[in-house]
Amino acid sequence: MIDPIILQRGSDWRAQAEVFDEIFFVFLALGTLVGTIVVAYTLWNVYKYRDDGGEPREDFDAPTVGELPTGQGGPKAKKLFLSFGLSAIVVISLVVYAYGLLLYVEEGPDANEESDIEILVTGYQFGWEYEYPNGHTTRGELVVPADHRVNLDVTSTDVWHNFGSSELRIKSDAIPGETSEVWFAVSSETVEEQGGEATYRVECFELCGQGHSAMKGQITALPQDEWEEWYESTGGDSENSSNVEGGVSVDDTASVSHAAVGGVPA
Amino acid sequence: MSELPPTTSVKRWLVTTNHKDIGILYTITALFFLLFGGVLALLIRVQLWDPANQVLSGLAYNEAVTAHGLIMVFWFLSPFAFGFANYFVPLQIGADDLAFPRLNAVSYWLYLFSGVLLGISFFQGGTLSAGWTMYAPLNVPMYTPSIGSTGAILALTMFIIGVTASTVNFLTSIHHSRAEGMGIMDMPMFSWSILATVWMMLFAFAALLGALLILGSDRVLGSVYFSATEGGALLWGHLWWFFGHPEVYIVFFPALGAMLELFQTFSGRRLVGRKWVIISICLIAVQSFLVWMHHMFLTTINLEIKTLMMATTIGISLPFDLIVFSLIYTLIKGRIQFTTPFLFAFGALLLFILGGITGVFLGAIVLDYEFRGTYWVVAHFHYVMFGGATALVGAIYYWFPKVTGKMYDEFLGKLHFAIFFLGFNAVYFSMFLAWETPRRVFEYNPEFQIYHQFGTIGAFVLGFSFFIMFYNLGKSYVSGESAGANPWDYSRTAEWAVSSPPPLENWPDRPSYASGKLEFVKDYVPDGGPAVKTDEDGNVATDGGDTHSSHISRYAHWDKHPSHASIWPFALSLALGVMLFGLSGFANSVTVELGETALQSDVVISNLLYPTAILAGIGGLLYTGVKWGTEDFYAPPTEFAERWPFNGVEKVKLGMWFFLASDVLVFGALLSAAIFIRYNAGWMTWEPLTDPLPGLINTFVLLTSSFTVILALVAARRKSRQGLLASLGSTILLGFVFMAIKMWEWNHEVFDKGVTISANAHGDPIQASIYYVTTGLHGIHVLLGLVVAIFLFVRTYQGHYLDDERPIEYFGLYWHFVDIVWVFVFPLFYLF
Repeated sequence: MIDPIILQRGSDWRAQAEVFDEIFFVFLALGTLVGTIVVAYTLWNVYKYRDDGGEPREDFDAPTVGELPTGQGGPKAKKLFLSFGLSAIVVISLVVYAYGLLLYVEEGPDANEESDIEILVTGYQFGWEYEYPNGHTTRGELVVPADHRVNLDVTSTDVWHNFGSSELRIKSDAIPGETSEVWFAVSSETVEEQGGEATYRVECFELCGQGHSAMKGQITALPQDEWEEWYESTGGDSENSSNVEGGVSVDDTASVSHAAVGGVPA
Repeated sequence: MSELPPTTSVKRWLVTTNHKDIGILYTITALFFLLFGGVLALLIRVQLWDPANQVLSGLAYNEAVTAHGLIMVFWFLSPFAFGFANYFVPLQIGADDLAFPRLNAVSYWLYLFSGVLLGISFFQGGTLSAGWTMYAPLNVPMYTPSIGSTGAILALTMFIIGVTASTVNFLTSIHHSRAEGMGIMDMPMFSWSILATVWMMLFAFAALLGALLILGSDRVLGSVYFSATEGGALLWGHLWWFFGHPEVYIVFFPALGAMLELFQTFSGRRLVGRKWVIISICLIAVQSFLVWMHHMFLTTINLEIKTLMMATTIGISLPFDLIVFSLIYTLIKGRIQFTTPFLFAFGALLLFILGGITGVFLGAIVLDYEFRGTYWVVAHFHYVMFGGATALVGAIYYWFPKVTGKMYDEFLGKLHFAIFFLGFNAVYFSMFLAWETPRRVFEYNPEFQIYHQFGTIGAFVLGFSFFIMFYNLGKSYVSGESAGANPWDYSRTAEWAVSSPPPLENWPDRPSYASGKLEFVKDYVPDGGPAVKTDEDGNVATDGGDTHSSHISRYAHWDKHPSHASIWPFALSLALGVMLFGLSGFANSVTVELGETALQSDVVISNLLYPTAILAGIGGLLYTGVKWGTEDFYAPPTEFAERWPFNGVEKVKLGMWFFLASDVLVFGALLSAAIFIRYNAGWMTWEPLTDPLPGLINTFVLLTSSFTVILALVAARRKSRQGLLASLGSTILLGFVFMAIKMWEWNHEVFDKGVTISANAHGDPIQASIYYVTTGLHGIHVLLGLVVAIFLFVRTYQGHYLDDERPIEYFGLYWHFVDIVWVFVFPLFYLF
């Protein structure tokens, strides 16, 4: 069955969360810096040029009612364009930088495609169903092996949902009639750090009906060997495949979500 | 025409068509909706206090979230801004009133009654619960079955009809009635922002109207667009955001205009780089239609399109940078007065800077993937949209003295600002901290509880601050100090040149900027003749160029007094409201059981209320429409005005062109929908449902009727009553032939081929839906045209239109438009 081939580790493989954290940090740092400078400069000038009841400056030319506007260009236009140019450079370079990383997030790391795990994720009111390559399906919990790239094909059977896990920094729209793709991978180090089983909270990020708030799920990453053991036990037998029997109704999603949420370290 | 009763009379407010009265009505109504939406917001915040809280059920919570969004965006923000626009744009551009006073009144009444419909929807089994973005297919009856959901969608449709009327009115007014000497670049910034706003509204709201007509048809008539797996859900996404992104600027621009105005007035400085700010505003208005897919990065759109949308998104942030810097540099070297209006405008700038920076985050697609559907987005758009609206709160204080003649209490105003600003940041900044919480979820990760609790406290503080304002304004209105015509030291715009409140027709004499500043010119008016422009010495001026266009002189009645009162806008809007109320329950109370033929089919009515309301509404619309059309209401054209770039186009014709431009977008939305779905289904897998022959005959019938309409105009110009009757009569006849063939065709489809709006015996049901809805909307246009044509026919018989053939000409424009649409519909549904 699936080769125990592991994703290329090291410099050419990064989890989505790492990429996100890096960009987020850069944006946050620059955003805070620019914001602080602009706001501080503005506040200082507003204080400096307040009307303190004294005599107006000599160059103060008070406007009058009914005048037509003048100063369409004005002496400050040069300064205006300088600031504008600076801000444009900051914004454009930020986005070009982020775009480079987008290409990585879109494509993902080069991996042995045979070792990739393809999962079909189907949203329904109100939960998630996962179909494994061997045809086995589960609801509520997705179990994946560490060190493998997992490709999710996300769709929906009823309304528009959005499959997402904030901790893994992955998200994808689940649209009826459409299939969108997203990938992720969990390293074996992470699994070990979390005591042999890494769990991630899954939530629905698009309003999908009255059970939307409770539409939770969980992704569990197991060490390679443990996962294989579990996977073989499912045997692709789809008859007894469902972890949760039946139930698309609101009532039992509550219990699904409750169990799932319980597994997530808060 | 009736006289306008005094302001103390209730009747005054029902019949007024004066722009200042309507501005006041808009503002007060919008503030009511602020309270309505605010209470819903507080309900949401209470629910968020504890992740285990269940004050509202899941469904009720979704309803609160949806109604909060819809009310704040549609029924509060824009109408609030348009209250000011109504009152002050005519004053700022030197006009007596808006171009079409009755149309202005109808816009307001449609707005009010649409709000009433939305209110009623809460009691029709619960209002819509699909979010303000109403994503498909949650927005179809299978998933949101309540009558109130349909009611809310029809209420929004009605609101947009009012918006369209208002848009046409403002565009015509600003392009047609600027005072002499006020070039388009000379307009005050608030008026400029409104001009850019209405241009965006003309196209954006038309696209949304198209989307809502389709959705209304899905809900009321049973078509299956948005539940179709052939791209139905994505179709909604595209239509919604094609409207939705410009909408962000539509609600923000008036606030920006207020900011630009207030910064100048309270610093005593003129706007820095004014020309570049105007250019930026225009650029944003155009670019706003090119970024919509950045709301859909996580759908199945491909990387190339994502990249393009990322580039346009960053592109649109740059003009905003320039505007922000211009605002900041305007303050430098000024004499800044920290009045309440300035504090709010300045606060709005600070909030907008934060909203803008966090918006750049969203432009980076990798970040956007994670922010999608989280509180980051919620926080960002509240900082931008409500942050912008903060300037409009400033505008209330700024213009309160002008509207009421009384000064507000400065201390209470500043107190309001302080509490408002604290509460605002408490509630919305905490959302940034809790950003990983999914939107519209109340069972959130308990980790974030502390931020949500902080936000809830902030929300109550924010809400409370408005009661200080209501108290302040109420008290000041009753017993405030007299404000005088111009309470501000450095105001520039023309509204401060007249008394507070301004007289009914605004100006003592005709305002003119011909000399470079505002002057009031006395025109010499000979008996029954046109006004003659005189210079200061009383000599008749000979310059003036195109301001002397003959089209004005031909139709002006100089001895006639302008009208300011009509009850028909109110009555017409009420009738439309009744009809839409009826339609909301149509699907639940009327069932059609198809038999072998139309005669054997059965209509079962389970609830008389709704069908009765539909019929009463239609009757009311016809009655009030005829009354409107025959009323002697005189809104004089402006004799001397700047009209760039529409010099020489008569007022009503200009309005007609604007209206048709928006209607192009409505049909554009429907035709795009048809093409998008068919493309997704596989273009070549569909054959036309119908035989080409009836369609071909109908094409000839319609084109011939275009010809007879031209003949009608010729006959009217030649003052030939019989010729006019004959050509109008032939047009009507041809229109009925078209409708008869259409009916035969539909009858054939339904009873011989088994193709109905929701079922298709020969293929995809969605194909049948598209066919019926698109050709049906065209058919409704033909039907409306026929109603007008019959009206014109009867009036011609009574002897009208031979002196003034314009109504014939404008009807002709509409009729040609309907024919041209058919030229696009025909090949798509009959040939390929």
